[in-house]
Parts: sequence; C-alpha cells; structure tokens
Amino acid sequence: MSETALRPSAGAVSPSRAPLPRRRSAYARRRGRSGLAFVTPFMIIFTLFMVAPLGYAIYQSLYTTKLIGGTRFSGFANYATVLQSGDFWNGVIRVIIFGGIQIPVMLAIAFFFATIFDLGIAKWGPVFRAVYFIPFAVPIVVSSLMWGFLLDPAYGPFNRFMNVIGFHGFNWLSSNLMLPSIIIIAIWEWTGYNSVILYTALKSVPRDVVEAAILDDTPLWKIILRIKLPLVRPAIVMLVFINTIGAMQLFIEPSILNNYAPGVVTATWTPVIDIYNTSIADGEYQLGAAMAVVLAFVVIAISVASLAFRRRREFR
Amino acid sequence: MLSRKSSEVFIGVAAVAAVTLLAACSSGGPSSSTTTPTTSASASSTASATASASPSSTPVLAGANCSSSATHLTFWAWVPGMSRAVTEFNATHPNICVTLQDPGAGSGEYVPLNNALKAGTGAPDVAEVEFDLLPSYEIQHYLVNLVPYGANTYKSDFAAWAWSQVSQGSGVYAMPSDFGPMGFYYDKATLATYHVTPPTTWSQFATDAIAMHKANSRAYLIDFPANDPQWLMDMMAQAGAWPFSYTGGANLTIDWTGAAQEKFASFWQSLINDHAVASITDLGTEENTDMDTGVLGAAVYSAWAPSYFAPDVKHSMGQWRAAPLPQWSAGASVGSDWGGSTYPVFSESKHPAQAAEFSEWLTATSQSWNIVKTPPSSLFPTFLPTLQSASFKSLTYPISGTSQPNQVFSAGALSIPLTTWPPFMTQVLTQGASTFGGVVNGKETLAQAFATFQGQEVAYAKSQGFNVTT
Repeated sequence: MSETALRPSAGAVSPSRAPLPRRRSAYARRRGRSGLAFVTPFMIIFTLFMVAPLGYAIYQSLYTTKLIGGTRFSGFANYATVLQSGDFWNGVIRVIIFGGIQIPVMLAIAFFFATIFDLGIAKWGPVFRAVYFIPFAVPIVVSSLMWGFLLDPAYGPFNRFMNVIGFHGFNWLSSNLMLPSIIIIAIWEWTGYNSVILYTALKSVPRDVVEAAILDDTPLWKIILRIKLPLVRPAIVMLVFINTIGAMQLFIEPSILNNYAPGVVTATWTPVIDIYNTSIADGEYQLGAAMAVVLAFVVIAISVASLAFRRRREFR
Repeated sequence: MLSRKSSEVFIGVAAVAAVTLLAACSSGGPSSSTTTPTTSASASSTASATASASPSSTPVLAGANCSSSATHLTFWAWVPGMSRAVTEFNATHPNICVTLQDPGAGSGEYVPLNNALKAGTGAPDVAEVEFDLLPSYEIQHYLVNLVPYGANTYKSDFAAWAWSQVSQGSGVYAMPSDFGPMGFYYDKATLATYHVTPPTTWSQFATDAIAMHKANSRAYLIDFPANDPQWLMDMMAQAGAWPFSYTGGANLTIDWTGAAQEKFASFWQSLINDHAVASITDLGTEENTDMDTGVLGAAVYSAWAPSYFAPDVKHSMGQWRAAPLPQWSAGASVGSDWGGSTYPVFSESKHPAQAAEFSEWLTATSQSWNIVKTPPSSLFPTFLPTLQSASFKSLTYPISGTSQPNQVFSAGALSIPLTTWPPFMTQVLTQGASTFGGVVNGKETLAQAFATFQGQEVAYAKSQGFNVTT
C-alpha cells in the first residue's frame, strides 16, 4: 500500500539511479550487512535448537545400541526397521485420517465464526471472540483431562446422555470411537485460534472491493464465498499447513485419554507416541531417532504436496 | 537473497552446529518436577508410561545446611517425608552431607536418571530404584557392588525375597528398603452382605466371585486390572507361573505360554467370561470409589496399597480388613510381592564409601525405620527387626478400625516366591499395558494376550542381543 502511494516521487528519482551502479552496490552491501545483523539472532537460535538437534538425530539414527553387544554403526538398519514396521505406518495412517477430518471441519466452523464477527452482526462480538478463544488458552493436558471426565465410560455425562436417548452401553472412549472423540476435542481446542486468524485476514480484505460488490447488488453469501473466501485463501493455506503439522504430531490427547480407557490407546497408536515409547520405554533411542526422521519426511511430503496443489490452483 | 549468503555465515553456522553436537552429548540431569505423592510403589511407573514431564528445577528437600568440610552426596527419591530421614542422617553424621532432591515418582525420576547415567555426568550418588528395575541398571554397569562396603553383614536383617532381589551372583547392588507383600483386602460389611468370607483358595474365590455378581449385577468381588502388567506378574508369581528367568549376562528365559501360564490365564479368563470380576484401572479414583461404595467387595492388594485408597474413603471407614492371599492348593501359604524400592549407589559417584554408608543407614537401621515407617512415608519394611516388631505389627489405621492389617501383611512377607526380572522392565511394562489392554476391553482373551506378548518380548529381547530360551 505505502509503496503505491510513494510511486510518483520515487518515479522522479529513479532515472538518476541507473548511472550510479557503484553507489547502489554499496547501498546493497550495507543493506545486506544490516539484514544479516537482523537475521543472526534467529539463525543462532534456529541452529542451536533446530538444525543441530536434527543433525544429531540423523547421526544417532545410523547407530544401534544393544543391551548385549553395546553400540555399533548399523547404517540404515534402523530405517529398514521403521519402514517395515506395520505399527508405525498404522499410526501414520491414523493421524492422516485424524487430520483429514479434523482440519476441514474445524476450518469450516472457524470461517463461519470469523465471518459472523467480521460482519459485525453479532452483539458483544469481542466478548464472543474471547470466549471462543479460551479453549486455546487452556493447556492441552488440562483440557484432555476435562474431556476425559466428560467422556468417561462409567461416570461421564456424555455416555449417560447417550444411554438416556437409547444408545445403551455407548462408550465414547471405546477403540472404535477414540479417534472421533479426539477429533471433537481437537476441534473444540483449535477452532477459536483458527477463527481469530481468519477474522484478522477477513478484516484486511480491502473495503473498496466489498463496497463495489455491494453497489453491484451482489448477495451477501456471494460476497462471503466468492469474494472474501478467495481473498483470505493465503491465510487458509497457512492454517492448513500449521494444522497438518500439528495433526501429524498428535500425542497429548490420546496419552491422557488412555488413563480413562486403558488399552485403547496402544503404545504405537500415533507415530509420536510410538517414538516416545520406543525411545523412553524401550530405550531404543537410535530407532526412535530414525522414526522421527521418517515422520519428518512424511510431514514434508504432505506439506510439499499441499503447496504444489495450491500453486496449481492459483495458476488455473 | 539466498545467493547473497556469505560463506562466513555458513562457516559460523557450521561451527555453532559442531559445538551444539558436543553439548548435546552431555545434556542431562534432573528435568522434571512431578511431585505426585506416592509411597515407593511401582504403580507410578506403569500408570502412564506415555505421559511427559515438564522441565523445571528440582526442589531441594533436605541438606541445605551442613558443615563445609563434609563430603557432599546427592540423593534422589520420591517417597514423601523422606527428608526427615535425611535430616536425621546429616545430624548424626557430621562428616557427610546428603542433599535430597525429588524429581518425581517413577518415570519422573527414571528418565532424568537414565539420561544422566548415559551422559556419564549429573547422576546422583544414591537414588530410589524399584526392585523390578534393578537388573536394568545392573546390566549397564551403572551400580556399585556394595559387598566391599560391608553390605553382606546386613543380609540376615532382611526378608529373604528382598535380599535375593538386590543380589546378582556374588554381588549386592543395592540396599532393599520397603516392599509390598500382597494380601486379600476386603470390606467386611460388603462381604457380609453377600455372605462371603475371605476365600482361602482360588477355587473358593471363583465360586464367591460368581455368586456375588449373581446376587447383584452391579457388584464384583474384585477388580482384575489386566492392563497392569506388574500386578498381573505378581499374581503369576504366586501361581508358580512367573514368566521370566534372568540371572545376569546374555541368557534370558521368557515363558508366557507354558502350562502354568496357560492354567493361570484360563482360570481368570473364565471369571472374565462370567463377568464375575470388574475390569477397571487399579489404584485409580474409579476403583477407589467402587471399593468405597460397595461395588467392589475386595481387592488383591499390597501392604502399601491402602495408603493409596485411604484418602478416597468416605462410606466404608473402619470396615477394611486384610486376609492372606487365597491359595492355589489348599493349606499352602504362598505369598507374593507387589512393588517396593531399593537404594543403589551409582558408579558415577565420586564417594562410593560414604554413599554406601548412607544407603546402609537408611535401610538397615532402626533409627531410620522409626522415621520412614510413619506417615507420610508409611514404608512397609523389608528390614526384619522393624517388620517383626510387635509395635509395627500392631499398628492400626482409621480405614481398618481396630484391626491390625500388618499382622497379615508381615506374615505374607516371609513366603514370597523368589523371582527375577528381565533387564528391560520399562519395555515390559509399557508393552504389557498396551498388549493386555485388549483383555480389559474384551477384544481378546488373556491366553491370546499372553501369546502375543510372548512373541513381542522374544522379538525385543533378541533385538537387544539376548540368547532367548522359551
């Protein structure tokens, strides 16, 4: 916006730039140097806490420590174990199903709320925005405990409700319903956060575009779905991206709910639970590292695929 | 923009990365602060094997003011009220200064302990380690043999089972502290309602369990928490169906599918099929509530378990009694143990003699036991002078009225079958909780779970390099 406003004066100066290549390169160098200064703190932290541990994990994943026999270089043996592990891939499929349902449903609900707030038709808008945001502010461990009590087979009100309306012996935490229950919990946890981001994105949709549409007598639903929705697509893509990465790392909710329904959440239920148990319980840190690397590649593959999908859509 | 990245930056980044790699090798130390109040029971390590701990500083509970010339020792334990014993030790041993830290119960302590031991620095001199995990530390040579420090002089002071647990070959790798002899713990009012007297044999038990559930479809004689492998294995020990044999080295026997194991599995499976036993998590709020409200008439409990149950008791105050475990053959008196802790000295310690002196004082003196047998520690002694003292046996508890449950538990303490743990019990407990979960849900029979588990354990042991006998 500001660049457009400045263009007339910038245009007047620009002809003088061309014959002064040396000065421009000095300016670029100075700019590069200050840019470097700005980036360095991030790069140091990023290297210390992201790149280095990642490198160390990859290094570790090439070794195997046995209780009898000690530590030996084992090449890609850990990776072969992971790739052949049915339990690990069952977990991967489970979290893909989880994300495949949870993310679209949650984003639809979040967009619905964001639109209502954006339209300003709801009284007490800011209050409701805060209320919907609260689940995000509750630590996931706490909300999982809370939901565990709500869904508890013996004492939970939700099971009692199902019994009252005729579904006897209904159990929200049975092995068939554990994943749907966690999807509901995750939607409850994350809708507020996502709708706040979508609300902010909707707020930044240029007014003149919407005003032009109103002058053209465009119906409201068309303004929302045909004008606003496409304009906030970058925000939605970003949310899909972030939520996908989060979904692939599903860990806390099933770990906590396992205490209410023992044995439903197995030691390999999601990839991260599997990695945790392999490393901590089984003491196979190197195998856990290999699993983490493989999971990272799965996440990267899904992210790249969704980016490619977005590109294709944009050029269409 | 990317092409402008100077090579200097790249070298700098590479250097930082190299430093971090070195630093990453030596990370460790206490990093969690779960302060779940428990006795030294083993339940904590199985209850939530997938739970993660939040990093924070570990509180120092004793040892803040010692003389500067004293030898300093670090001690990790999660038994509540342990600081009282440490303060007493420091007061009576001015040349040694023990600092107590509580990193949290079970895995709260084991995870930072394992990290520190692997890193070779940051481990305590002495720490609380449960009986079942001792071989896991022995095999990695993390423990100091206490025989040169006079441990064997205390052998006759301890219950035979406890001493066998801390011994491997001619070495003694920890001092035993408390344990959990098992018994039949029952609400006399509930059992009277259903005209049940504490069964002396398991076949009588089965008859009673079926009858009680027939009389009231909401009521059960006991809970059968199949997803607690520790409880299950301790029950198997009493039945002569112990599934492991390990005495150090590379040879290991795993047998979940032998005749004795199958007999055990089919006995309990028939009770599960008849819905004659409940199947909920043990030692939790739900089981406690069911016991308190007469839904469960009894529990196959350990000596320490009532201290888990007591805080939830509202309706059944004063009604709880202890009886010996039912027997597989009439007239026998075979007990079992559920949980308990030891205090090993770690080979990282720079002061093993002083550390051994502390561990021996803590576990093998009446001075220490007079403190730790009282609440909130309430430890059940493996130390015979305390275990067999009239004052300990005659203790009464509000939930048991005027009865003396320790009379029963201390008698059972001397008839525990000797057992040996595989040197990877964390894996056994985690995998077991996962594999046996299906039994609770009715998705598989106990025998099927045993067979699955046999395969899983043999595969794991072989992948760890053991010569496995089945």
